[in-house]
Amino acid sequence: MITGGNGDHARFGDDVAPWLLGALAAEEREAFERHLAACGRCREEVAALRPAVEALPLAAPPVAPPPELRDRIMRVVESEAQLLQASGESADRPERARRPERRRPRRWFVSLSPALAAAACAVVAAVGVGGYLIGQSGSEGGGGHVVAAKVSFPAASASVRTEGEQASLQLANMPAPPPGKVYEVWLKRNGQMPRATRALFVVRSGAVTIPGGVGDADQVLVTAEPRGGSLVPTSMPVIVANTA
Amino acid sequence: MAFERRKRPESSESALQSLADEELMALVAKGQARAFETIYERHGGAAFSLAYRMCGSRSLAEDVAQEAFLSIWRSGGRYDRARGSVRTWVLGIVHNRAIDALRRTVVHERRRASDEGIEERFEARERTEVEAARREEASTIRGMLETLPDEQSRVIELAYFGGFTHSEIAEMLGAPIGTVKGRMRLGLEKLRGQLAPQGAMP
Repeated sequence: MITGGNGDHARFGDDVAPWLLGALAAEEREAFERHLAACGRCREEVAALRPAVEALPLAAPPVAPPPELRDRIMRVVESEAQLLQASGESADRPERARRPERRRPRRWFVSLSPALAAAACAVVAAVGVGGYLIGQSGSEGGGGHVVAAKVSFPAASASVRTEGEQASLQLANMPAPPPGKVYEVWLKRNGQMPRATRALFVVRSGAVTIPGGVGDADQVLVTAEPRGGSLVPTSMPVIVANTA
Repeated sequence: MAFERRKRPESSESALQSLADEELMALVAKGQARAFETIYERHGGAAFSLAYRMCGSRSLAEDVAQEAFLSIWRSGGRYDRARGSVRTWVLGIVHNRAIDALRRTVVHERRRASDEGIEERFEARERTEVEAARREEASTIRGMLETLPDEQSRVIELAYFGGFTHSEIAEMLGAPIGTVKGRMRLGLEKLRGQLAPQGAMP
């Protein structure tokens, strides 16, 4: 992983200022960041120049944001906060110890931007139609670890079966999703926002594969979403399974 | 499904106002919308101003600011106070988002936006004390930038506010890449030197 030692300093030393200013192209940035991890001299230079770069945004002439911007942001935030709370008390638990991360200016966040959401939704839809499921039902071999889920419909039941890297949602007697909607499966980690899976379904009974398994998620959630799925849940979960 | 606003057992607004940014971020990490809203109140103006300075259009600046704040909300747990102030962190995210947005657009359109000297065309509407302080701060930092040799401030502005890469800048200015990188470094060093004695950093 670390390819650049101090020996590379002559090659990368000039990139400190462009890196801080965000002026490296993507590949150069990655190469520089690998070097930075191994080069104390560059890290010192970064530390010395960083305050200058951090002052730059303050030079932007003040412009008042429109009040609608706040409203738009807070609408999303409120609905996500609501979902976070509804999906369990985990959000109130103390945060897990964080791994120290190397500073990587452009990797601070992982969530997809709303601007990308449309494109990604299209992918989700294509995957759904292409065969992930929409109605894949049937049996899977026994075995594995099964966790019963809470379901908001009294007559329905659901459980999550994990076996190694594989996971599936077992359903019985689910009502059909509301018109124009599909059910979407989410994975949620303690204190974080739910992450969309590519699992969309409309079946009422049977097994729904969760592509990629549940990984390190603590909870599996299901919400009703517009056809094609969403990147961020837009309704309250109807199924909640604690898999941790 | 319906949800009711402001009915959750969260800290009261006045209590939130009295918290430091770092303490608010700890609440944001736990999903507290009101704590996030307070962060937005404090830094949304600076964030939007930066986005607008970089994008040169209100609608793109709004998109960028919205993306940035939603990613801040969703990754609130990633804020690490050892790395600097919340404001610096927020503005760094806005900057990265704006660069991404700019790099999706056509080069010559960007050049116009970053060259036009948007300056005071849209002045902040609210003349509060906070606004006044921000204006003063902005003009102080701009003043420092203006003391740099033109060739240095130019490459810094094109890179930081224009979102151009060093090789794009080299092409624009007809200068070798090594020269452009060197000017960036000299300019930043000089700026750093001006900041230090005044303790101007928040």
